[in-house]
Amino acid sequence: MDRRNFLKRASAATAAAAVVTTQSKWAVASGGESNKQIGSIIDLTKCDGCEHKDTPLCVAACKTKNADRFPQPAGEIMDYWPRDHHEDWSNEQDRTDQLTPYNWTFVDTVSVEHNGESKKVHVPRRCMHCDDATCQKLCPFGVIYKSERGAVEIDEDFCMGGAKCRSSCPWDIPQRQAGVGIYKDLLPQLAGGGVMYKCDMCDDLLAIGERPACETSCPQDAITFGPLESIRQEARQRAEQMNGHVYGDMENGGTHTFYVSEVPYEKIDEAIKKEKAAQPENMPGRPHMEPEFDNLLDTAHGFTLAMAIAPFAGAAAAGITAYKTMKGDKNKEVIIDESEKE
Amino acid sequence: MNQKRSKVIRQPLSNRFVHWTAAISIFMLIITGLGQMPLYGRYLGPNPPALLAWLQDYEVTLWLHYLFATVLIFILIYHIIFHALRKEFDIVPRKGDVKASYHLMKAMILKKEEPPSEKYLPEQRLAYAFFAVSLLLVVVTGIAKVYQNIAGVQPSNWFFVVMAAGHNIATVMIIMAIIGHLAAFIFKANRHMLPGMFTGKVDKEYVEERHSLWYEEMKKNQNKKTS
Repeated sequence: MDRRNFLKRASAATAAAAVVTTQSKWAVASGGESNKQIGSIIDLTKCDGCEHKDTPLCVAACKTKNADRFPQPAGEIMDYWPRDHHEDWSNEQDRTDQLTPYNWTFVDTVSVEHNGESKKVHVPRRCMHCDDATCQKLCPFGVIYKSERGAVEIDEDFCMGGAKCRSSCPWDIPQRQAGVGIYKDLLPQLAGGGVMYKCDMCDDLLAIGERPACETSCPQDAITFGPLESIRQEARQRAEQMNGHVYGDMENGGTHTFYVSEVPYEKIDEAIKKEKAAQPENMPGRPHMEPEFDNLLDTAHGFTLAMAIAPFAGAAAAGITAYKTMKGDKNKEVIIDESEKE
Repeated sequence: MNQKRSKVIRQPLSNRFVHWTAAISIFMLIITGLGQMPLYGRYLGPNPPALLAWLQDYEVTLWLHYLFATVLIFILIYHIIFHALRKEFDIVPRKGDVKASYHLMKAMILKKEEPPSEKYLPEQRLAYAFFAVSLLLVVVTGIAKVYQNIAGVQPSNWFFVVMAAGHNIATVMIIMAIIGHLAAFIFKANRHMLPGMFTGKVDKEYVEERHSLWYEEMKKNQNKKTS
């Protein structure tokens, strides 16, 4: 981080902290530390994808808000040796049809058959901000953080760009830009691949009690942020009223984002996958919408239990073996004079 | 005439069991741990050899990492408790080991007469201490990482940074320790110890000459028993 950026972020953080401790809307609304968590509803019955605009307004607002954080690679970018490629989006900075390091939210539009008619569904996509974020838990350098509001944030200054967060994210959300980041100062040819970028829930705005850019820019009120539990309840209520469905409440063990839709997510997912398969490049950046799947780390329970038992088993085995060998005077260093034996 | 050479049991079965179980688990932990870095996606490429394809699957390498970590924790605890109960502390470093190591290495390189040694050479005791510290660090940080991975557990951000850095540093220390451990066999004099970890036995002549203090102690103990 250069000095200017450091000072800018430090002063922003100080200002944010000052406001949070005094008059943050979320903190006041919820009261306690544990209730500072923020969630959001994305109502697919309201989102029209800003069909008459060149770019959906939430996408445009996100790009404007985060423009000064977008990667600026300088000079020629090296390939990821021994591979003959690297991930460079710097020539496609205006692209808004998928997630990229320069586009942290996009609106996916698919057509589905529902109740006997063809229906267009617009799905704003971005990081879901999981309860148990596999990207954070599995980052090999521990440089993905969670704010007290539950926003999952990548530390752009220390990210090596190995893209494990993308592979471990069930929706492949974080996107990589090569030619920037700390790896350039270490072993740029051998290790690291850039920096990973994604939505951070406009946590700097939330910290000062303001609403994220995507929410304030939406003309349809399709996006609503608020205290997590009330937002969860609101999403469930809306779904119940419309005889619809919530997405994000159970998926990956729970997230801070709740989609509400009349159309079952299986249908949306199927349509996304079908379109994706037809695309020439089946690149990450266009997430699926597969409902109800477990968090990868849920599988750990059995292994964790085995690990908890291991020290006791080791101690018991040692005790038994030591007792047996001491009793029989075994396990001793002994001189065996073979020549004398013969 | 019988040409069979007299031997000394240097590494009883329990020691060999600990050594090889630890060696295999540490080797597998390094292999699967590098998979978590991540490394194999890039270095094995999009079409890895069929037998190595599993290395590119984070889930597979993560669970194998857990599995071998369980084995390692088991064997480390076994090792500590077993020797503590039997009051066997030959490999624990002693005061003056750094200086003694210097004299011994000097004698080995200059091919001069070495000072008499106990069961373990002073540098072996120091190497053991380095292994012990590295393993302690890797196990403590590893357990912390397992804890953070439990569903519903959300430690602070610094916890993630410190534990990840500690685990990575400890891994580098262990790799260095293994390289040093194997490099010891560059010296011919040390190679006589090798059969000890396979058959348990080493040549009596070697022990008499190099580990004379230990040899005398064993002889004394054996004589005590027979008398």
